[in-house]
Amino acid sequence: MRKGVGASMPLKGQDDYEKSARLKKGALIISLVLLLFISIIAAVVLGAASISIKSVLDALLSPIPFFDNLFKGIDTPDIQRGIIISLRLPRVVQAAIVGASLAVAGAVFQGLFRNPMADPYVLGVSSGAALGAVLAMLTGGSLFFAGFTAVPLFAFAGGILTITLVYYISRVGKAVPVMTLLLAGIAVSAFLSALVSLLTYFSGEKLHQVVFWMMGGVGGAVWSRIMTMLPYVLVGFACIYYYAGELNVLLLGEETARHLGVDTERVKKILLAAASLLVAAAVSTSGIIGFVGLVVPHFIRLAAGPDHRILLPASALLGASLLIIADTVARIIIAPAELPVGIITAMVGAPMFIYLLKKRKKLRYFNSNSN
Amino acid sequence: MSLNLKVLGLTLEYDAVPILDGIDFELQKGEMVALLGPNGAGKSSLLRCISGIIEPKGGSVFLNGREAGSLTSGEIARQMAVVPQDTGVDFDFTVEEIVQMGRFPYRKGLRKNEKSDEEIVRNALETTGILPLRHRSAATLSGGERQRMVFARALCQEPELLLLDEPTANLDIGYQWELLEVVLRLNREKGVTIIAAIHDLNLAALFFQRFILLSQGKILAVGRGEEVLTKSNILTSYGVPAQVFRHPLHGRLQVSVSKEKMSTENAGKEGKNERVHIIGGGSEALPVLEALWEKGYSLSLGPVSNEDSGSHFARFLGFPVIENPPFSGINAEVYEEHLKVMKEVKCVVLPPIPFGEGNIRNLEAMVEAVAQGVPGIVLGDHGEDKDFTGGKAAALLEQMKEKGALFVNDIEDVLLYMKGCGNEYFMKRNK
Repeated sequence: MRKGVGASMPLKGQDDYEKSARLKKGALIISLVLLLFISIIAAVVLGAASISIKSVLDALLSPIPFFDNLFKGIDTPDIQRGIIISLRLPRVVQAAIVGASLAVAGAVFQGLFRNPMADPYVLGVSSGAALGAVLAMLTGGSLFFAGFTAVPLFAFAGGILTITLVYYISRVGKAVPVMTLLLAGIAVSAFLSALVSLLTYFSGEKLHQVVFWMMGGVGGAVWSRIMTMLPYVLVGFACIYYYAGELNVLLLGEETARHLGVDTERVKKILLAAASLLVAAAVSTSGIIGFVGLVVPHFIRLAAGPDHRILLPASALLGASLLIIADTVARIIIAPAELPVGIITAMVGAPMFIYLLKKRKKLRYFNSNSN
Repeated sequence: MSLNLKVLGLTLEYDAVPILDGIDFELQKGEMVALLGPNGAGKSSLLRCISGIIEPKGGSVFLNGREAGSLTSGEIARQMAVVPQDTGVDFDFTVEEIVQMGRFPYRKGLRKNEKSDEEIVRNALETTGILPLRHRSAATLSGGERQRMVFARALCQEPELLLLDEPTANLDIGYQWELLEVVLRLNREKGVTIIAAIHDLNLAALFFQRFILLSQGKILAVGRGEEVLTKSNILTSYGVPAQVFRHPLHGRLQVSVSKEKMSTENAGKEGKNERVHIIGGGSEALPVLEALWEKGYSLSLGPVSNEDSGSHFARFLGFPVIENPPFSGINAEVYEEHLKVMKEVKCVVLPPIPFGEGNIRNLEAMVEAVAQGVPGIVLGDHGEDKDFTGGKAAALLEQMKEKGALFVNDIEDVLLYMKGCGNEYFMKRNK
């Protein structure tokens, strides 16, 4: 070592750079929080029954101690309060949770597989969940368990069973190589999709229900279902965020990660389980909503780089906002009828992704040295 | 000195093909060992078994007396760092972020980097000379810069044992040297034990004192340079005949693939069956010898002492040399032999060697030969600074000119003459 040259003498510019980098990341998080807040308000305001912003703010904020004085003058009718609290809000909250789950799961899978194509459904969770849901619809099961009705329960079970199957198929000795995992996921997914198509073909008058479910949507959200889903999602988020540092190191390749002291097999298993939990929870309540999980992490990486300590929370915020906005559009664009939100996310998400692709020429943060 | 690394009966198979076949060795703390061996000998596999990336079929690795398998990956990463062969970076991290990851094994929970971590990262960036690059995206680095970044990351792990797998493979000679000097300093100043797989035997010989030579998954030789880098070991492991010699400048062992591979078969066909004699040796004669040999001429050299570099070259390629005992003048016997050789060749070439009392007789012999009709070429600048005979040499060269010897400046001219272009050509060219 050169004898301590400059060790105690910070370069000018070093601090400036770090300050500006930190500032940029802080600004990103703050603006995403603002965006989420605005989209929640907008989503609650917009709809068939016209409700003023003031009433919405009153209904939403007056339960909070400090804010109740602020809205003293406003007298929101109970019926409006009812619409806000038990109709519109649960739907918005569910959209937020599902959007955040999909975006975070997408970020995790992309990082874990070091593959920009990965989305939350890459390991077949969606087809497994779809199979479960379709089975539930066709058998008309009136099962009710832990707050789930038959369809979400079967969908959740289908998703979790699929990921478990894929995981065990891809095991080689004690290790689970990500490439094998990806291929097994594709194969299992294709097989299950075929089963779903087969069942759909014979579904008769239930066809509409099945197809509509698969297009995805957060309609019919109720607090009880949200409360049932919430623990799973929170556990998933917490696990994933705890391993944000490991995910960063894993981006350098599994071998390097092991050299740096990451117990890769264990971390992979935990991250897979946590992300699959998020996806299964999302799919079981809202069907298959495409593109949120694929596009959102890419946007955040462009803005803030690949560091998962920022990427994960920022993706959650943006994913939540995007799905709330998409659902609001789906709700009002052909009111009083509704579009499945999956159609909106795909129709907006795909062109956005293409724009991104064209503008940046290549997604530089992936495989940039292989050209 | 405490024991640092012990490898015991390590075996590894891949599809029933043995890759490692019973590897045993021990390294004391602070040793520095080069792992040598041809492609496929198992160097990388051995390093990867030691670092725990692949699980051996049999045998075990002990780190500071504890079996590596019983240690957690974090414990291993705090004792051992690896600079792997492939250093691709897929994501858009900055150089600093990647180097910081070297502190990962010391991280506790979600805590932020500590002050001491920052200093360690900074030192590592400085030591490897990539401090100015720290805010660059790692994906934009050149191969050499990337390699130094990975090395800096390994430094941040503050390892007791550093494994390097072809650390210099992507580097130009300048950075190869620089990187290995950092390795050497790390070893000397911090007592870090080092194992480095290296392809370049000569580079290894420059920086390392101890070697392990692998061949077909087995250790062929362990020990100091003269025990490991021998002709027969190199032939057994690499399958090429080689010369091992001490470098004339730094005295370290050097290995050079030798004459069976560099036979006249590989030389040009232009000069078949034509013999050229070159007077004298030393660094002045070598370029001429090389150029003529490349074209395929038969050569002879001399008279020189047998320690002369030209004489080494001649013996290496197997052409005749007239030898004269070191530090002695040319006696009558050698003079006659020299004259006899010159009369049999197509042409005699005199490179710009210096003349003193010891070798002035060679010049006299050439004058005599030219006078008898042997074509002679005087190459290059024979100025006063090369004349240590008080003008005798200059006078002889003057005589040579009168007798019709050709004076040229360039080796290309010698080749052209040999090819058969007439004297007229030179007359024009040298005007």
